[in-house]
Amino acid sequence: MTILIDHLISSMIGVPFIGIAILAFIRDEKSIKRIAFGITVVEFFLSLILWRGFDFNLESMQFVERVEWMPTFNIQYAVGVDGISIVLVLLTTLLFPICILCSWTSIKTRLRAFLSLILLVEGAMIVVFTALDLFLFFMLWETTLIPMYFIIILWGGPNRVAAGLKFVLYSLAGSLLLLVGILGVYLNGGYTFDILMLTEQTYSSSTQSWLFLAFFLSFAIKMPMVPFHTWLPEAHSEAPTAGSVILAGVLLKMGGYGFLRFCLPMFPEASVNFAPYILWLSIIGIIYGGYMALAQSDLKKLIAYSSVSHMGFVTLGIFVFNSQGIQGAVLQMFNHGVTAAALFICVGQLYDRTHNRAISNYGGLHKPMPRFAALFFLFSVASFGLPGTCNFIGEFLVLVGTSYISFAMVLISMGGIILAAAYMLWMLQRVVLGEPKTEAAKMLPDLSNRELATLIPLAILVLCIGLYPGPLMELMDVSVIHLIHQTTGMKIG
Amino acid sequence: MTYFALIPFLPLLASIILLLGGHRWRENGHLIGIPAIGLSFGLSVAAFIEVLINGPFTLSLYRLFESGSLTIDLTLFVDQLTVLLLLLVTGVSGVVHVYSSRYMIGESRYNRFFAVIALFTFSMILLVMSGNLLMLLISWEVMGICSYLLISHAAERPSACRAATKAFLVNAVADIGLSFGIILTFLTFGTLDIPTILAQAEGMQSNTINILGWMGLDFHINPLTLIPFFLFMGAMGKSAQIPFHVWLPLAMEAPTPVSALIHAATMVNAGPFLLVRLSPLIILSPSAMTFITIIGIATAIFAGVVSLTQSDIKKILAYSTISQIGFMIMACGLGAFAIAIFHLLAHGCYKAFFFLSTGNALRSVEPGHQHGNHEHHVHEGMGILYGGALLLALIPPFVLFSGSYEYLWGITGFVTATIGFKIIALITVFVASQYLFKGVTSLFVQDPKTYWPASEEHSLERQPIRPKIFNGSILTGLFLVTIIFGWLLTLFWSWFADFLAPVLNFPGVVAFGENKMENGFPFWLVISLGVAVAGWIYAYSKHIRLQHQVSTKNKRSSFLYVFFWNQGYFDQIYDAYLVTPTIRLAHWLWKTIDVRVIDKSVYFIANYSVYFARSLWRIVDIRWLERTVGQLLGPFNTDGQLKQEMQFSTLQHQVLVIIFWLVALTGLLYYLI
Repeated sequence: MTILIDHLISSMIGVPFIGIAILAFIRDEKSIKRIAFGITVVEFFLSLILWRGFDFNLESMQFVERVEWMPTFNIQYAVGVDGISIVLVLLTTLLFPICILCSWTSIKTRLRAFLSLILLVEGAMIVVFTALDLFLFFMLWETTLIPMYFIIILWGGPNRVAAGLKFVLYSLAGSLLLLVGILGVYLNGGYTFDILMLTEQTYSSSTQSWLFLAFFLSFAIKMPMVPFHTWLPEAHSEAPTAGSVILAGVLLKMGGYGFLRFCLPMFPEASVNFAPYILWLSIIGIIYGGYMALAQSDLKKLIAYSSVSHMGFVTLGIFVFNSQGIQGAVLQMFNHGVTAAALFICVGQLYDRTHNRAISNYGGLHKPMPRFAALFFLFSVASFGLPGTCNFIGEFLVLVGTSYISFAMVLISMGGIILAAAYMLWMLQRVVLGEPKTEAAKMLPDLSNRELATLIPLAILVLCIGLYPGPLMELMDVSVIHLIHQTTGMKIG
Repeated sequence: MTYFALIPFLPLLASIILLLGGHRWRENGHLIGIPAIGLSFGLSVAAFIEVLINGPFTLSLYRLFESGSLTIDLTLFVDQLTVLLLLLVTGVSGVVHVYSSRYMIGESRYNRFFAVIALFTFSMILLVMSGNLLMLLISWEVMGICSYLLISHAAERPSACRAATKAFLVNAVADIGLSFGIILTFLTFGTLDIPTILAQAEGMQSNTINILGWMGLDFHINPLTLIPFFLFMGAMGKSAQIPFHVWLPLAMEAPTPVSALIHAATMVNAGPFLLVRLSPLIILSPSAMTFITIIGIATAIFAGVVSLTQSDIKKILAYSTISQIGFMIMACGLGAFAIAIFHLLAHGCYKAFFFLSTGNALRSVEPGHQHGNHEHHVHEGMGILYGGALLLALIPPFVLFSGSYEYLWGITGFVTATIGFKIIALITVFVASQYLFKGVTSLFVQDPKTYWPASEEHSLERQPIRPKIFNGSILTGLFLVTIIFGWLLTLFWSWFADFLAPVLNFPGVVAFGENKMENGFPFWLVISLGVAVAGWIYAYSKHIRLQHQVSTKNKRSSFLYVFFWNQGYFDQIYDAYLVTPTIRLAHWLWKTIDVRVIDKSVYFIANYSVYFARSLWRIVDIRWLERTVGQLLGPFNTDGQLKQEMQFSTLQHQVLVIIFWLVALTGLLYYLI
């Protein structure tokens, strides 16, 4: 047991890869699914152990493990978590079992390959969120791309090849900038890749600006911030359900995590200098994403564009540099991960039944599918931040944080919330309410127990975080204060 | 003491049980809902006595979160204002529950209906008990979503679904004001705890904030002037004040008992409650107070006149509620907070009664009858009983009018109260008495010219089989209780004022009946009574001569008449200038910016890179290298076709492209290094 605790993060990284190895030897499809699911559940329990062992009063990294890897270049295998990364690790391990559960019957071809890829993404994600070494971070950051690409182009919708290509090329463009940035940091920061040591360095103003921009653009593409967002609707809508869940639930958060882990502490001066532009860009993103979602006639695209809008709140919160803003942003990342994932699963369940994503195809679902209608309703209202559900707390905190900077920004972003309510309720009105359009629509089967099992945990989370966000927020409290201290030099309590 | 925390959570529990297990138990949802609400009501009475004896108390629930300097502790704050509203909310909700248990038989989703009205009641109870502004916001919005669910209860009807969405969105727009007001309050006071804010409000008057700091300008303003405006914006939404009133007539799509709940106990009462709850804060901003008064008056008059012109009984009632809430808002704006609350309670009792009897009358309308040909199937005697009770409720010194009379002469104490306000108030009384008269007559007197709503008939046709009539004695009993409760309020009004006094004990407030004793002769009381009677007579004469029958064909209909009959064209204006342009803009943005500009440029870069690669391949790889190799190889050259393929112009272009990129890259590298 102590070995496990001492190497908890390494074992969390190792488990999915071991899982892939095990899957290679199994023939029976049913056992493949069960084993893959079991592995993700084990992973989830490991993350719960991590949560239990985590001391949120410490601002330093915890569960740190360091091994020399390539000493010539000062590259280490170094992992550890602080209050911000643990939230995202929890989100990751939470969503993957649900991912596997929701693709239980919808994936019919090359099942083993599919599940292996999913496990590969999970392992890579955990490294991305825990890496303390830039080289390690970059490697696994890139690694997430490849399985996602294959998940999209092998199991996706009709337009999958183009969408997959667009996704990869966009991301690679970002990665290239990230690589340039990383090399720049390496060369200017004393030839080390150690993130903690690099954050201690100070760079000259012009270097900071250039490096900041390189990092920023790459994370902004991942986020995605307007105008670098056009890969997202296509990738989300063409990916299979599990792919969309991973993309919206976890992959987008890599961008936000990057801002918090690299941009802010490494380049504080540049962050503060660029902040006004980024804030306005975020607000444009919030409003623009809302308008885009309003114009969509495809369910998945609607949710994809709503992600653009919600991610605007994350960047808004990050770049106001105060406790409420950043805590709200991290919480918003978690909450968006839960609600967007749940909405994509809901749409996936509809797609499994009708093989159609057009809103106009649906109507009156409350009659044949009352359970589905209730859950879909809950996630939709949570998505636009109804008070009492999880997104509200995140958005409210971000807005409180923003109000220290500017009232205009607060009021305009509130317009984004109205737009969110408008497109979500309008979508509900067209999909859930009314009369079923066809005879076939009246006969649609309601959710099976397996489908319920994918959605109920998320529904419980939506309500629990909405009504009692305390535990999640105290996890990151100290780390966020430490981060703000690193960025602005202010010590707030 | 802690068991008072059960007041909101019993209905919540009932709602959760019904939501989770309701689909299993046929039509038995009321068996859970009624006891829960009943117990809540009992506890509310206990809380009332507790407050009466020991004064206000606070119950801590738990700490929601802590972020930097923002700490949210959820507390229940129970004072005199709270217990009065608790009695109203749980009482009316209990009556509605009992009523619905019969009314909703045969309707689809019986148990879901009970689950949602229990949740609705819960959120209103939590709203009046909340000791924290964030908690208030949460219950405020939960109430909104409950109303959405209830309005769309008949989800098969497209009009109901549209109405639900629209009602929620109108409220969402207004709630921006409330949220922003709450954020501003936090910035000013550093806390969201309501008792703390109220205690500190007066000391904050010298505080200023820079509202144009983000533009680099210096424009300091006292936040206390701003906060009430934003908070009131939220109140305008929930309380259906102009220009946010459009949702309330739409909310009539909900089953009739829900209308009783919305109009009498929950939703619309939230606005005046918020103003009174935060009155020490709001009264510090005279400009906001004036604004509140103006909105209240405008709403009261406008909605009153609209109500007169309507021929659909449900619309008449909706607009009469809007108008009555306008009265309360106006009273708040004049500083007569106690009177606003009095009016709120009286109106609540009266409206609950009115709606429940409407529901009864509507149910007795047989389907298939033509407009205006309906016959009442209410038992002969019961109709008289209802009518009589209703008329009693309307007779001046009793329930409904007493409030408006009182504040008419109460306002003399307030600075902004001038004779102009009094005249306007009298006009509203005149209008109000007319539409109330009309409401009564259209319900209980044979009035062939009143249209019955088409939508309700529709649903009747859908379910032709239903229990013939309600249990008359139970209903009558309930009605009588409501009426007696209202009378008690009236009889004990001076006591009522004393009871509320501790809550409203700060400068600028008009005390209840303050000037009555000094004047000796209630001059304004008589004046307004006279105006009301004049209104009744006028309405009666109109009623006898020619019913308010409107159609565009009618030659008598003047411009104004048509204007009000169309409810001021608010809906049409919103649709034409707000909703449609927004959706058009969304499509335009998507097609132009997203697809044409951003995506096109991405593809452009991609295509250009491919083109660049191809050029390199053709020129460098094939043309130059191959040629060199070819020349070297001389006789063995077989590559003649490719050279012919190449046109000179494309070649030139490609060379230019390569040169451009080389120069650009070199320049970039040079600049970077």
